[in-house]
Amino acid sequence: MKTTGTSATKPLCLMLLLLAAAGATAAHSPASPTLRFAFVGEERAGAAAGAAQGIHEANLQGRFLGQHYSLENIAAADLEATDPAGYIAVIVAGDAALLQQVGRRFKDHAVFNVRAHDDALRAACAPNLLHVIPSSKMLADARAQWLQKHPGEEVSASAWHPDFVKFAARDLNKRYRKRFSLPMEQYAWAGWAAIKMTSDSVARKNLREPGELLEHLKTALSFDGQKGLDMNFRPTGQLRQPLLLLDAQGRLLGEAPVRGVAAPTDVDSLGLPACPDQPQSVPSD
Amino acid sequence: MKYLSLAILLCLGHAQLVGAASGRIFVTNERSNDLSVIDGESLEVVQTIPVGKRPRGIGLSPDGAELYIAVSEENAIIVLNLDTLETIRRFDAGSDPETFAVHPNGNIYISNEDDAKASVFDPRTGEQLAEIDVGLEPEGVAISADGRQVIVTSESTNMLHVIHVPEHTVTANILVGARPRAAVFSRDSKLAYATSEISGEVKKIDMERHEILAVRKIANEKAKPKDVLLSKDETRLYVAGGRANQVIVLESDTLEPVKAIPVGKRVWGLAMSKDGGRIFTTDGVSGTVSVIDTGRNEVIKTIAVGKFPWGVVIDD
Repeated sequence: MKTTGTSATKPLCLMLLLLAAAGATAAHSPASPTLRFAFVGEERAGAAAGAAQGIHEANLQGRFLGQHYSLENIAAADLEATDPAGYIAVIVAGDAALLQQVGRRFKDHAVFNVRAHDDALRAACAPNLLHVIPSSKMLADARAQWLQKHPGEEVSASAWHPDFVKFAARDLNKRYRKRFSLPMEQYAWAGWAAIKMTSDSVARKNLREPGELLEHLKTALSFDGQKGLDMNFRPTGQLRQPLLLLDAQGRLLGEAPVRGVAAPTDVDSLGLPACPDQPQSVPSD
Repeated sequence: MKYLSLAILLCLGHAQLVGAASGRIFVTNERSNDLSVIDGESLEVVQTIPVGKRPRGIGLSPDGAELYIAVSEENAIIVLNLDTLETIRRFDAGSDPETFAVHPNGNIYISNEDDAKASVFDPRTGEQLAEIDVGLEPEGVAISADGRQVIVTSESTNMLHVIHVPEHTVTANILVGARPRAAVFSRDSKLAYATSEISGEVKKIDMERHEILAVRKIANEKAKPKDVLLSKDETRLYVAGGRANQVIVLESDTLEPVKAIPVGKRVWGLAMSKDGGRIFTTDGVSGTVSVIDTGRNEVIKTIAVGKFPWGVVIDD
């Protein structure tokens, strides 16, 4: 935007008149080519709907920046015939074997795991696998923290809950329900988060090359997953995040790290904080 | 020169700002659904008035005759006569109205959190004058003193949307830290300061070039910066630190930290007296208003109000 050169010493009304005369110029960036995500796995599961929600929100931001995103399904059977070039990143909603297969095929891309909880995948510290969904160990640690404070309760842990309202979780749950008439469960949240952290990184750094994006996500991410804390990835490729605890009926009980057992910001109290051959103390920012 | 007459009208509007004021402080309590009225001299609560479900945003008309309150769960703004404190009008303000700001010309700019829109209402008639597309979860609204620029923060798109008045065109979308909550303009409208809750940052922005000039990450890890104010001499910035339970004072020029003032729990709202001498905070979890003397940067009184105080304005 351009304005006429006014100085603070001039009277307010003169400034107003100058501004009124100058008018305003729109400052939209020119459109760039569409950034394409590949999606491999369970197309009808929550992860696909979550990713679609993420694309919608990415494009909502993109309209202000001249950026546009799309999501394309790739059948597992077509993987070997697919050219990775042309995609910005991949989302995998499947088991460990499928994830590793995609990881090999798209070896220079960020490959988001939104479905597989296997601890072994984290311990393997693959250079391009980014686990948005929590590991089994993270879920177990969250349960253990809860039981330290509340013995005897039947409890399970999850990355997300459709009744979670704090930290604007309410807003995300509301948007998702409005769009799909479904409650947002944890795989949907992970699909949404994978797209949203990518579009946020692209918006900030104008990253258009998959390798640069992967590097940025691994080392410099600062992501608002609508769970109250700034999120980034561990060296294992696991997303640091608070978790939610549910009772036997699936009702929301509370959050982990569990206050009184661990510091509320100590998300590394959940799961494997570092690769097995690395020192255990890892800076969280 | 098509906006010449409007500019003149705005100037006339400014001339009407002077009037007798009661010095009272008004606080919305979002969980007790009422308004606390604090006497400016004794600093005691003198009245508590039921106002509707989940009152949050609060503002005064430029002539000081009317008080506006967003009653979020009733999707409305109510208008109180400042003398009688009776509700004299109410109007629909879109879905879940939360934060708004009153323009010098009397119109209200409000963020509609569910709709990715900002809207403009004339509170005298309740008429919606404009609707502007912004990012997801629009939240904070700030209006420059010259009335020409409005900033709306979008919490889930991480942007400050700059809207020009009276055209109501979005002239810039400035990316900031995660979850931008609130903004304030310098008096000359050339600078703005904005808080980001999740990244824990305060940013200083050149509003002519739309460039970020400085960034400060608040050292206290618990800090979730929300409201932000400039001191009267514009040398200091006051930031409500949320769960840090502190108001953080920064040098406005460099954003260097100066002091952290302990207040009540989950401090979100801030209002400054016209003479700049006092700041009133809403401490949500504590259910208190802390009164800060800006000369000493110390709390001089803590006042118990309703449940989860949210917004605060001063009729001075």
